[in-house]
Amino acid sequence: MSESAAAISHGLGATIEPSPYGMQSKKLTMWLFIASDAITFGAILFAYSYLRVGSANWSRPFQFSPSIANALVMTGVLLTSGLTMLFAVSAAKQGQKPTSLKWMGATILLGVVFAALHLREWFHMFSEGWSLSKNPTGGSVMFGATFFSITGLHLLHVISGVLALIVVSIGFQTKWLDENHVETTGLYWHFVDLVWMFVFPLLYLMNASPR
Amino acid sequence: MNANHTPAMKFFVLVWIGLLCMAGIEVFITYQGFSTHTQLAMLLVLALIEAGIGLLYFMHLKYDRPVLLWTFVLSIVFVLLMMNQIWPDAYRMVSIGHH
Repeated sequence: MSESAAAISHGLGATIEPSPYGMQSKKLTMWLFIASDAITFGAILFAYSYLRVGSANWSRPFQFSPSIANALVMTGVLLTSGLTMLFAVSAAKQGQKPTSLKWMGATILLGVVFAALHLREWFHMFSEGWSLSKNPTGGSVMFGATFFSITGLHLLHVISGVLALIVVSIGFQTKWLDENHVETTGLYWHFVDLVWMFVFPLLYLMNASPR
Repeated sequence: MNANHTPAMKFFVLVWIGLLCMAGIEVFITYQGFSTHTQLAMLLVLALIEAGIGLLYFMHLKYDRPVLLWTFVLSIVFVLLMMNQIWPDAYRMVSIGHH
């Protein structure tokens, strides 16, 4: 008996009705979170763009090698992790638990590789004198502030996603969680992927130094 | 998501290849010597297409009820459009900087 049918049989039909979105509350909650997070990222990307347009001495410090090439590899890694997550969700929905776990493991690994590449780039920039309040090229100090804040917030999302995937993998393996949890986590992971599609061109490519 | 209505995984592999190609095209555009405004416009169009593909296929919005797309995506787009009020002040800032 469905939740709504059970509610009606108990005389609660007037208070409980089916979701207009036709999905479980956990998935709807994830969509609400994604909507709010999209506006958060939108706001900080607008703030960055405002500062960039409003600064007469904005820096374009990224050489093709290593910065742009590294960011392109990071993009490839993240896009690939989106595909492996898609495979994990599909396998979970078809009841192929071992296959789903294998693909979730691949997604976790790719997430760790992305984070490692990102941190390596950060430490390279730190060694050149960049920080939240310092610009070694003599341009606007807001470059470091916005770059590290936005990429840092995105990196935090990636690390959170990796941790969530580890928890969901364990839960799915031990039957504590089901395939719907895998799908909901997949939704989050794809959102992190989607945000990078704006971070990469706006923060890296628009700040690439001419060849 | 109803798994019965989703295409085969081969289709998603093609979508993934398409997204990788678009990232490569973005880098190519960056080094073609376009003006900042042209470069920004081209990169934003590509990013929006990538995001749309990600939402429709990777996040399965195409296979969920259309009401999800209309309520969530349109409300986010509306908020982001409203944020465009800031540009006149950004240009005022840069004119002060030049003086």
